[in-house]
Amino acid sequence: MHAVPKPECEEALDRLFEYIDHELPEDEIHLIGEHLKTCPPCEAEHKINEKIKRLVNRTGHDVAPEELRSRILATIRATRPETS
Amino acid sequence: MTDTTEYDFESEALSYMDQLYAAALRMTRNGADAEDLVQETFAKAFAAQDKFTPGTNLKAWLYRIQTNAFINSYRKKQREPKRSDAETVEDWQLAAAAEHTSSGLASAEDRALDSLGDDVIRQAMSELSDDFRMAVYLSDVEGFAYKEIAEIMDTPVGTVMSRLHRGRKLLREKLRDYAAERGLYERTPVKKDKDGGACRAQA
Repeated sequence: MHAVPKPECEEALDRLFEYIDHELPEDEIHLIGEHLKTCPPCEAEHKINEKIKRLVNRTGHDVAPEELRSRILATIRATRPETS
Repeated sequence: MTDTTEYDFESEALSYMDQLYAAALRMTRNGADAEDLVQETFAKAFAAQDKFTPGTNLKAWLYRIQTNAFINSYRKKQREPKRSDAETVEDWQLAAAAEHTSSGLASAEDRALDSLGDDVIRQAMSELSDDFRMAVYLSDVEGFAYKEIAEIMDTPVGTVMSRLHRGRKLLREKLRDYAAERGLYERTPVKKDKDGGACRAQA
């Protein structure tokens, strides 16, 4: 348990998503990174949120069906003003 | 003879087909609608290609077209009753702070996430409302910057951040529920009152 909160925790938790998404300037990345090294509860939050981001990434890719590809290519060819 | 040094809009646009299809699947949650949406996106993109400035972000431009097409043709068609995400997450900041007090639970949650199948992750994502799901998708899968997501979704960066915060909080809640259903994680009631429990409230 980490019952007594610190202002650094609040700051880190507030900006955790921006930290994970690489949306922060260097100095803030450094500050939060340093805090995470010394605060296990905040680091646990960081790890979980980062893991969920990775899981969403891993399960978010699909390949367009071949049939769709041919349909789109056919449409483009039909509407192209000149053939090369 | 065509100028081979000319910017090849067509082949670059077509190279994003898989990504646009994957995004369309998340938008429409249905294979047939996703295919129609991608086809509509390319038709619109080719018709408007003279409006695209070479050297700028073609991928984001295509996503913007697809997002608009989705809003205009599919979202209206679906007539899905609007789910209120606001009532599910009353105060994400308070919730985030409350997590901080329970590091033992956090490591159990962390382990449970490793045991969840891909189908569960996809299912949980599909249960988010359109705006939350797309913000999370565009950031986590496509790696768009907040500014790009703001352009694609035609909304201020602050709204993108709020959608990401809320969407991810909800997603995490759903994953916990699925993990608990599968016996991978034991839920403990989280205090939601404004004065008790939360780290931020005490700070």
